[in-house]
Amino acid sequence: MLTKEELQNTLKDNCINLRFHARGGQGGVTASNLCVEAFHGFGVCQPKFGAERMGSPTESYVRLSLNDDLVRNNEQVYAPHVVSVLDPSLLGEIDVAAGLAPGGWLIVNTTIDQVSLQEVIGRNDINIATIDALNIAMEILGRNITNTIILGAILRVMPMFTVDALKDAVMARFKGSLAGKNIEAIKRAYDDTCIYETLDAPKLDFSKDTKIPWQQISLGLPGYKELDKAGVWYCDETVIEMGSKLVNTGSWGEWDMIWDKETCTDCAQCWFICPDFAILREKNDDGLWHMVGIDQGHCKSCQNCLETCPVKAITKQLKQGPASCAAPQ
Amino acid sequence: MKIFFKEIKEPIETAMIGNYAVAGGITQTDPDVICAFPITPQTQSVEGLSDVVNQGRLIAAFVNVESELAAISYATAACASGARTFTATASQGYLLMTEGLPMPVGWRLPLTMLISARAFNAPNLSIWNQWEYTQVNAELGWNIFVSENVQETYDAAILSTMIAEDTLFPTIFVHDGFIISHSVQKLTLIPDETVLRMTPKKPRHIIDTAKPGTWGGIVTPNYFMEGRANLENAKKPVLGQMQAAFDRFKSETGRQYNLIETYNLDNSSKTAFCTMGSMSGNIISWMTKNKDVGLIKLRAYRPFPVEELRKIVEEHNIEKLILLEKSDALNGLLPPFAMSIASALYPLGTIFRSFIVGLGGRDVTREEFTVTKKKMELVNDMKGPLYSYLGVRETKQKIEGVDQ
Repeated sequence: MLTKEELQNTLKDNCINLRFHARGGQGGVTASNLCVEAFHGFGVCQPKFGAERMGSPTESYVRLSLNDDLVRNNEQVYAPHVVSVLDPSLLGEIDVAAGLAPGGWLIVNTTIDQVSLQEVIGRNDINIATIDALNIAMEILGRNITNTIILGAILRVMPMFTVDALKDAVMARFKGSLAGKNIEAIKRAYDDTCIYETLDAPKLDFSKDTKIPWQQISLGLPGYKELDKAGVWYCDETVIEMGSKLVNTGSWGEWDMIWDKETCTDCAQCWFICPDFAILREKNDDGLWHMVGIDQGHCKSCQNCLETCPVKAITKQLKQGPASCAAPQ
Repeated sequence: MKIFFKEIKEPIETAMIGNYAVAGGITQTDPDVICAFPITPQTQSVEGLSDVVNQGRLIAAFVNVESELAAISYATAACASGARTFTATASQGYLLMTEGLPMPVGWRLPLTMLISARAFNAPNLSIWNQWEYTQVNAELGWNIFVSENVQETYDAAILSTMIAEDTLFPTIFVHDGFIISHSVQKLTLIPDETVLRMTPKKPRHIIDTAKPGTWGGIVTPNYFMEGRANLENAKKPVLGQMQAAFDRFKSETGRQYNLIETYNLDNSSKTAFCTMGSMSGNIISWMTKNKDVGLIKLRAYRPFPVEELRKIVEEHNIEKLILLEKSDALNGLLPPFAMSIASALYPLGTIFRSFIVGLGGRDVTREEFTVTKKKMELVNDMKGPLYSYLGVRETKQKIEGVDQ
C-alpha cells in the first residue's frame, strides 16, 4: 500500500481516478462529491451522464490531482485506480471491476470473504478490501446509508486525504448530530476495513494509461452502415436489441408484489397500468385472457397495480436480501 | 445551492455542479424576473433559482410558463419594461423559442440566457451534449460566449449580465450539457458586494408611460433596411465591449478571460487545435504529454472575433488548424463551427480540416486527439473532403477512418 507521502508525490504529475457503484438514492454521488470537497488539490466529480432512477445501478467518477491541467480533463473515467461498491447486490448484476487498473483496489460493502469475492470478480491482479458497512450504518446511523462509511474504507487503502479533512467536508455538508454520527461511522469504517492484498498483484502504476483504445465507441454494436433507414428499431428485426425486456428492472425496487389468485377477477386494470409489462397473462381454452402472475424480474415495485386493483388482490412485501438496500426507512 | 441562501461576504472556495453555479451567479446579480421552462440538462439552474426566491434570498418574480415560446416572450416583455431578466433553455426548447429570439435583438434588450448544450432529436432522441447553439439561431444577433468548466460558467453568469447591459444586446452563455452542467468541480465564489459593483443597474430605454411609443410596429420597405443597418452598426463595438467587461472582471476578481485564449502556440509542428467549451479542457490535459501541438480556444462565438483570430494565426505562424466540433450540418460544405473559422481565415489561406466528434454525448477522449494530430501531419493542402466524422462505427467492428 502507498503511504500518504508517496501518494502525494505521485499526484504531483498524475491523476488518481475513482469509480463508485451504487443504486440510485444510495448516495454514490454524495460520496464522490465529498472526495472532491475533502481533497487538498484539484478535483472533479462526474456522474455517469444520463438519467438516474431510484434503485437503478449508478456510477459516479472522481478525478483528483495536484496538477490543475490533468483535472481539466472532462472525459469519463475508463481506467479507475479505486472502485467502491456501495451495494453488494450489484456484484451479480454488473462487472464492477471493469477497467480497474492492475494493482488497483476494489472496495466492497459486503460480509463475503475475499476468496469467494475474487471468484465472483474473476481477477487476481487487483487488491480487495471489504467493509461490513451495512452493520456499521444500522448501528451508528440507524438506517442503511453507506456512502460516507465507504469513504472511511477507501482512506484506509488510499490515503488521498486525511480523515480529519473528510471530517471537515462532512461537517460542511451535514447538519448537527447527523454530521457527528457520520464522522463516527467513518472512523469506525477506517478501523474495521478488512484488507486483502493479492500476492501476485502488480504495483499500481499511476503514470500508465490502461484505458482500452476507442472504448467509448462501443465496438460490437451496429455501425451506421448497418442501421435501418430513419434509425427505426423494428420489432421483428434484431439490428438493435430493444425493449425493457433486456433491463433487469426487477432489482431496482424495494418491494415484492404478491398476487392472490383467489381474489383476482381478471379485470386486467393492473395489466393496462403496468409500465414494464410485468403482469403476466395467458389465453385459456375458453378464449379469454387470465392473469397468471407477476414477472419479478421486471417489476420495479412502482406499486401502480396495487393502487389500481379494485379487489385488493395485490399486496406488497419488503424484499429480503441485498436489493432491499434502497428502501427508505 | 444552500451556500447562496445567505450573503456571500468573502471569496469562498467550494464545489458544486455547473447548473447550480449558474443559478448562484445569477442570484448574485440580483435579477428582477426569472422566467424559464425546464429541460434536461438545464433544469437545475432554474430549480436553484426557484429555491433562492422561495427562501427569500432573492426578491424577484419567478414566473412559471407553459413553454419555451412563452418563456422567451415573457422574458422579452419583462426586459423591455426595465427588469433585469434571466431565462435558460437547451435543445428542442431553443428551437421552440426561435420565433421569439429576433425581437430582443431588434429592441436592444439586455436579456441573458443560459444554454446547456444538448443535441437536437433526430433521428433519435438524445438528452446528451452537442453544440446545438451553432446549428441554428446563431445568426439572429444574440451575443454568444462559451465556458469550459464550472468556474467559467459561474463567472459567465455574472459576465453575461455585464456584457448584455454594456452592449444592449441579448446575451447567451453556453456550457456543455451534462459534462459541465452535472459535474461537481471546485470554484471560487465572488462576494456579493463585488458582483453588485460589477453589475450596477444602469438607466436604459424602456417601455414607459411617460414616454409613449410603438415598439415593433409594422414598417414599409421605406424603413426596414435602415433598421437592420442600425443594428449591424451597433454590433461593431460589441467585441471591444466584451473584452472591456472581461478586463473589468479581472481587476475585481483576478481571473482573466479573453475573446480567444491560446495555449502552446509556438510549437514545433506549427499546428493547433481549435475548439470551444469543455473539450478544450480535455485537450489541455492531453497536451501535458503532447507538447508539439497548440490549442486555440474560442470563448466568444457571436459576434465572431475575426480580427483577433487572424492576428493570433499570423503572429504565431500557425500553418495548420485541426478544428474539432460537436455539431454537424448535413450541407456538404462544412459544419457550422468550421464554416465560421473558414470564413474568418479565408484571406490567410490557413490549411485546416474539420472533425465532427462527440455528437449526442459521445465521449471525446485522448484517441481522437492523437488520431487527428496524426492525420493532420499528412495534410498539406485544401484538396479533398474538408470535414469528416471521427469516432463513429462504420460496421460492428470498424471505426471509420481509424486503423485499429
